[in-house]
Amino acid sequence: MVDLNAKYDQFRAKGLGVAIVSYDSVAILKNFGDRKGIRIPMLSDPESKIIRAFGILNENIDKTSPVYGIPFPGTYILDTKGVVKSKYFHDDYTERFSAGSVLTREFGATGLESTKVDTPHVTLSYTASDASFAPGRRLTLILDVDFKPKMHVYAPGIESGYIPIDWTMTKAKGWEALAAEYPASHKVHLPVIDETVPVYDKHIRITRDIIVGQAAEVGPSLAPDRTLTVEGTFRYQACDDKECYVPRSIPLQWKFKVGEMETERVPAEMRRRP
Amino acid sequence: MRPLLTLALLAFLAAAQETDRPRLHPLNPANANLKTGPAVGAKVPDFNAPDQNGKAQTLASLRGPKGLMLVFTRSADW
Repeated sequence: MVDLNAKYDQFRAKGLGVAIVSYDSVAILKNFGDRKGIRIPMLSDPESKIIRAFGILNENIDKTSPVYGIPFPGTYILDTKGVVKSKYFHDDYTERFSAGSVLTREFGATGLESTKVDTPHVTLSYTASDASFAPGRRLTLILDVDFKPKMHVYAPGIESGYIPIDWTMTKAKGWEALAAEYPASHKVHLPVIDETVPVYDKHIRITRDIIVGQAAEVGPSLAPDRTLTVEGTFRYQACDDKECYVPRSIPLQWKFKVGEMETERVPAEMRRRP
Repeated sequence: MRPLLTLALLAFLAAAQETDRPRLHPLNPANANLKTGPAVGAKVPDFNAPDQNGKAQTLASLRGPKGLMLVFTRSADW
């Protein structure tokens, strides 16, 4: 909620209202909101009426538990008539889409600084949906490739013999990378090789989500200042209308700040879960 | 209780096999029978509930000119 609150103005600037629903009492929400400076309306649904009406009550929980009544966590983007335009749920509910990832998926821009790498063939600019987040978040890495005039590369899926672009991530503990999402390529007939092949040129954006583990999982991967370093490689072979150049591998590196888990709670007498 | 548990476990295993990717940890059985509510294109039910300041809120009072981002979360306290 603190992550989302930090991006509240960015969602509002895009014309979206934002609201949060939980099974907490008004008193709990007021206490939490005052402590954390939350400006987003947080709705109290103590009998889980809204949660049930949406059909997302977590019924794996024993009915006698103080935890019973919570939803499967997730996010809906609704149009002005209340129709679902998109939704963000995860098969593991401990892993939530970050507010920045939703913002990136809905609207593209992140507003965060990019790292730029210039080669004779392409300019890479890469960034991420979030600079800082809590453990257990799913965020989005963004890689923009701008091709120099006449330059193109082969798209993944091309027959062997050609080297397609390839974005790999370094294996690491504490976070996992999902598959890269490449845009659609277009087929071009190349007179030099007299073949029609799938290529990218001009500009492409490739994205890939990473899931950062729970506090105990990601903890050992953090530097003392809680920086998480995530690394990968972008490999390409560029060609122009005359020749193909030697393949290149460009190291990529992202640095994030991973926050501490919230441990502060409302006063004992207010708590629903002891 | 036992048949229910077995059902939950089966559903959990089915869900675990749905996505073929490496995981940081095995899917917890508490993730079984994941429900995600109204589908894309469906209209969500309206509601009337108080916010943290006790103000009654509905879909209409919350939405912006382009719509509403509605987030369901576990708890603000734990």
